[in-house]
Amino acid sequence: MSRGRLVLRKVAWALVTVIVVITFNFLLFRVLPGDPAKAGVRDPRLTPESVEAARVRFGLDKPVFLNLEGGGLFDSQYFAYLGALAQGDLGESYAYNNRTVTELIGRSLVNTVWLVLPAQILSIMIGVVLGLLAAWRKGTKLDVGALTFSLFMWSLPTFFLGILLLFVGSRTFGLPTAGRVTIGADAGFAEAVGDIFSHLLLPTATLALVLLGEYMIIMRSSVVEVFSEDYILTAKAKGLSTFQIIRRHAFRNAMLPIVTLIALNLGFTVSGAIQVETVYSWPGLGKLTVDAVAQRDFPVLQGAFLLLAIAVIFANLVAELIYLRLDPRVTEA
Amino acid sequence: MHALRVRTVLPAFLVLILAACGTAAEETTTTGAGGSVTTQPSTATGGTVRIGWGGAPADLNPGLGVLTEDYTLYDLIYDSPLNINLEGNFEPELATSWSASDGGLTWTLTIRDDVTFHDGTPLTAEDVAYSLNLYKDTEDFPFLPSYLTPFVSIEAPDATTVTLTTESPIGNFEYRMPAMYVLPKHIWEGVNPVEFTNDEMIGSGPFKLAEHAQDEFVRLGPNPDYWGGAPNVEQVVFQTFTNPDARVQALTNGDVDMITEFPATAVASLRSTANVVVADGSYFGGRLADIFFNVVEPANCPTTEEGGVCSGHPALRDVNVRRALATATDKQQLIDTLLLGLGAKGLGLVTSSLSYWYPEELLAEDYEFDLAAGAQMLEDAGYLDTDGDGIRECPTDDCGPTGDLTFRLNYPTDNDEHPRVSDTLSGWWQEIGVKVEIQGLDSDALTSVCCPSFDYDVMLWSWTSDPDPESLLGVMLCTEIASGYSETGFCDPEYDELYDQQLVELDPAARRKIIVDMQRIALEQVPYIIPWYYPRIQAYRSDRFSGWQDSFPILSLEDPSSLAVIRPTG
Repeated sequence: MSRGRLVLRKVAWALVTVIVVITFNFLLFRVLPGDPAKAGVRDPRLTPESVEAARVRFGLDKPVFLNLEGGGLFDSQYFAYLGALAQGDLGESYAYNNRTVTELIGRSLVNTVWLVLPAQILSIMIGVVLGLLAAWRKGTKLDVGALTFSLFMWSLPTFFLGILLLFVGSRTFGLPTAGRVTIGADAGFAEAVGDIFSHLLLPTATLALVLLGEYMIIMRSSVVEVFSEDYILTAKAKGLSTFQIIRRHAFRNAMLPIVTLIALNLGFTVSGAIQVETVYSWPGLGKLTVDAVAQRDFPVLQGAFLLLAIAVIFANLVAELIYLRLDPRVTEA
Repeated sequence: MHALRVRTVLPAFLVLILAACGTAAEETTTTGAGGSVTTQPSTATGGTVRIGWGGAPADLNPGLGVLTEDYTLYDLIYDSPLNINLEGNFEPELATSWSASDGGLTWTLTIRDDVTFHDGTPLTAEDVAYSLNLYKDTEDFPFLPSYLTPFVSIEAPDATTVTLTTESPIGNFEYRMPAMYVLPKHIWEGVNPVEFTNDEMIGSGPFKLAEHAQDEFVRLGPNPDYWGGAPNVEQVVFQTFTNPDARVQALTNGDVDMITEFPATAVASLRSTANVVVADGSYFGGRLADIFFNVVEPANCPTTEEGGVCSGHPALRDVNVRRALATATDKQQLIDTLLLGLGAKGLGLVTSSLSYWYPEELLAEDYEFDLAAGAQMLEDAGYLDTDGDGIRECPTDDCGPTGDLTFRLNYPTDNDEHPRVSDTLSGWWQEIGVKVEIQGLDSDALTSVCCPSFDYDVMLWSWTSDPDPESLLGVMLCTEIASGYSETGFCDPEYDELYDQQLVELDPAARRKIIVDMQRIALEQVPYIIPWYYPRIQAYRSDRFSGWQDSFPILSLEDPSSLAVIRPTG
């Protein structure tokens, strides 16, 4: 199969997956127990008339999938949802009156990316370098030290590490305990940048430390495996320096599993770092999702799930496309 | 009037606590006696007060508010006709006086003539009548309309008078007023009140909205022209701290000056922190924990269409069993172990925060903890352990195949204390020969087995009370069984008759007597055991601002009664 057709086929599959996810995501909130109309109005003293009015307002009076009772086969909740979705309309939040889901998710997404992206970049860089060093110096104190550190960080619960860093950082270094900026502070540009940086430091460090372990361990084992290959031996026999071997032969081959991991993690980035966001009161997507669960804000949940699913599917697609470039053998599969 | 069903869903998700809109001037004079304020009155002004809280307002439109945080904000930015002070009493705010005439069918409010909105427009009786009518007639507003249902017309005959007429007299006019935030008619009449986001929040209160970032913070500035005197501080910032430990840490570090809530487990460490004062009191209206029984008689069971199941254990319909269980419940022990000693012992549905209405005289009639006496009560009523398995059996044969006194006990899973309360109760009740099968349920599932289905035996839950006893006393009415507002299925025609009497009784002393009689019935019949009234705990730094009002029965440091009077120290 040619490369172009392969790319097309992968994109097509991703699109099919998205449609299946949209449908499943829609159904999920229809089979949950509880009446969405009551959840939407959140007033237990509702009269049957007002429940009915709410049902009409949220379109819940229509059949779920296909309208067999007249008024057009497609006059149903599902097709109304698809129609709105096509126009980028995710509905209105139940918990926040007069706020659209798109608006809520959009704002939280910006905050989440603000926090998670630096943390991801930091952890990928440190994790990959650390893994490479450990594999290169396999069996030495450096290897054991780096491995122990990574395993420890990986297994430490995020909220626990977060609280520890919060106590130490705020007590010892006077770093802020919550939020993105100092509210109501009238500061100049340089001070404002410093303020943002100081607010970002602890949450980013927490998230980076937690993510780092995984990258380091995968990178290390992958490089160790590549180092045992015959072509590395050949390269050594040719008289190449260690640096050249790593750069030209080992690194690229060892990157395959790491690319998978990065792509997957970046997909989940969108779901936000729920625990870090909660500890540091960061108004991101993770916190929005948790609040939506607590308040039974189904439209927001539905929107957040959809965004997460699409992000993961997209990240997977990107990973597969990168594979094609990194490893010509993938074409055969 | 249909009472408010206000269940506590989550600590940060409390619904409708009516907080007071403080009047700055009067209360400064009362602080000296409380001893909480520095003896040398400071005259300093300015500064940013930073407040850490767990939630955030969700709606800036007062008609749509459901969260505690929403109401905190409305109280700072808007004025109401009347206010509840920190002693639980009603006092003038926009209305300088109020009185009933025409046999109690007409109420007249005299409105201040020196009030302006934040945008400079004068506030008149016209705005007051407009706002009240808006709240009354907008059915999509979740809570506020129910306060105004008795009124058939609300009018402003002149610039300083508002008249409200009712069809029958009402004995609790005052409590209907503190949440009636007066809105500027000139802004609101041009918008759809249900879709209006009210981002500017033009009110007439002591503070103005400066900036609002949803779920992050609210920033307020002082209203320099406030009729009650401008606040002394330059800025008030409410910042959301989702993590309670971070909130406590922020106060310890000095990042914030006050925290509105924190876990009881942090009390000891905060008390030993320099420059931090831990204050305790009760909530406006009060919050209570309740243990209640399914006592619905088969004859009163809601129909199948209404959702009635009525699977309650028959023994719980015997008042002797309920009295025995109440006798085998050590309220003080529960408070000491679960609330670290900070709650107040419960008595009935009317909490101690309702000061005047709280029936102190009934305290002596409450059931004293005595396991032996509890066991004896069951023994005397004919519940004996005939098969020697440690669990008593019913004397009648309608108690299931084994006839055991085995009760299902359900509680909402979103509450920290209830699992431990259940275990403790189970231990005590086991000792008098009663077995409990404990199951926590999600609050939706709990509602569906509760009422009006009555598909449970014993339940633990909690209530947030209105500042008037009427609404919570309504949960024991026969007429509310089918509506689902009654959660016990309790029915006593005498109680219902007294309830109707207090509705129309205009003389407070006479109304109080009726309400005490109703609570005596509740105490004798025990559909409820009220283990405690929740304490409110807050903490503030004493080195930055002085004047926090922490020596009253009700504690609310985020209320205008504190924020409008505090000053920078030194």
